[in-house]
Amino acid sequence: MKIERVVVIGAGTMGSGIAQWFAQEMCFVELVDNSSDQLDRAKKSIHDSWNKLVEKEKLTSCKAEQMKKLLEFKSLDNVSKNADLVVEAIIENLDVKKDLFAKLDKHFSEHTILSSNTSSFPIHLMAEAVSTARRGNFVGLHFFNPATIMKLVEVIKGKDSDQELCHELYSWFDSKGKKPALCKDSPGFIVNRVARNFYGEPLRIVGEDDERKMREVDHILKEVGGFKMGPFELMDMIGIDVNYSVTCSVWEAYDREPRFAPHRLQKKMVEDGRFGRKTKRGYYKYD
Amino acid sequence: MTNVSFGDYLLNFGFGTKEEKTKILEMNPDKKVVMDLSCYDPISFYKKFPNLIGTFAALFADENKKIEVHLLEGVEDVLKKFIELGYTPVETTIVSCGFVFPRTISQIINEAYFALQEGVASREDIDRAMKFGVNYPKGPFEWAHGREMYVKTLLNELLSLTGDQRYKACPLL
Repeated sequence: MKIERVVVIGAGTMGSGIAQWFAQEMCFVELVDNSSDQLDRAKKSIHDSWNKLVEKEKLTSCKAEQMKKLLEFKSLDNVSKNADLVVEAIIENLDVKKDLFAKLDKHFSEHTILSSNTSSFPIHLMAEAVSTARRGNFVGLHFFNPATIMKLVEVIKGKDSDQELCHELYSWFDSKGKKPALCKDSPGFIVNRVARNFYGEPLRIVGEDDERKMREVDHILKEVGGFKMGPFELMDMIGIDVNYSVTCSVWEAYDREPRFAPHRLQKKMVEDGRFGRKTKRGYYKYD
Repeated sequence: MTNVSFGDYLLNFGFGTKEEKTKILEMNPDKKVVMDLSCYDPISFYKKFPNLIGTFAALFADENKKIEVHLLEGVEDVLKKFIELGYTPVETTIVSCGFVFPRTISQIINEAYFALQEGVASREDIDRAMKFGVNYPKGPFEWAHGREMYVKTLLNELLSLTGDQRYKACPLL
């Protein structure tokens, strides 16, 4: 498989990280956004990150300059048509994504692989927006934040995705030092599904808004389980609102299966505006 | 199961049925028993047996041999003994069926089995995803290896205790 030209759509945190990673792997990358301010911010952030690596002597200035030349910042109208791979990383709104994919399908050449970095929507629903001929070349590629550091890429095979293509993508990412995982197009894919009980079960063990107990649970899961962060401090960092929304989305997608049911404390925290670190109040206080 | 006696104390290690655990407590009324109840509800045992002065969860411990320990008395002596036996006790005040780590990890393992059963991904890819996507120190199947029976027993216990279907064990377990 040859992936030399990549287009990443959406210059937010995920899109920028994904574009940066591909450029670091010496791919020619076009990072696309309809906001020039967003593109400027992404460019500054990526260039700053490379400059810091040069200062720390973790990257040569020659390589950094090479990567800067490989990464271009554009609007969709100006993007080239012959990319090998397109990664969509825009807002999590199914209608907006489908509109975008319909445009991308017309814009890019036949060989271009279209992919979505969605964490919430089934791949086959987005694939409905493209022509039947393209659907074999439509997959999910779910990166994790920060994409330059986190090694996992979930390679998601949609209903019509070409099986061989998925295996080739798996091997390609593997050859580039990522740790790909091949998975079926099902709610939460692997991580957002299996990780749900890292939050749900501690919430049930504690049962109420009791900071002392939460500290104890966090301590035990780090000390005994070897987790880098405890569930309560992690939820505070992710955002209790974000975590609750993912929980509800997976729960609904599995027809309210009890294993995924949100806990009443999560709901209460969201209703009270206690979202975690970003509101200085979550399961813990941050003054 | 293995029993370790020292002074007035008896430490009971290993997996056993509830009946077997009960028998140990009944046969040692004059001992201060500290028992591995990784898969059961410590509260019901505490209520029934005044000679039970502590509980712990060692069945889920990995190479680091760190274990959750809940003690009502004899704290210093018992902790010293655990250290002597090569364990690192982590004291807890939370008395929950399956303590904290065994209960949480069993639910994560159960979900991984459901995902496997539904063909979402292979064991290897599920382990890999959890280690490299959310930095888990081990994948769920690596954790489960050799402990499937403990996971299943604990989930059945939680199901019967709470009646909550979220604890229904995956048939693959």
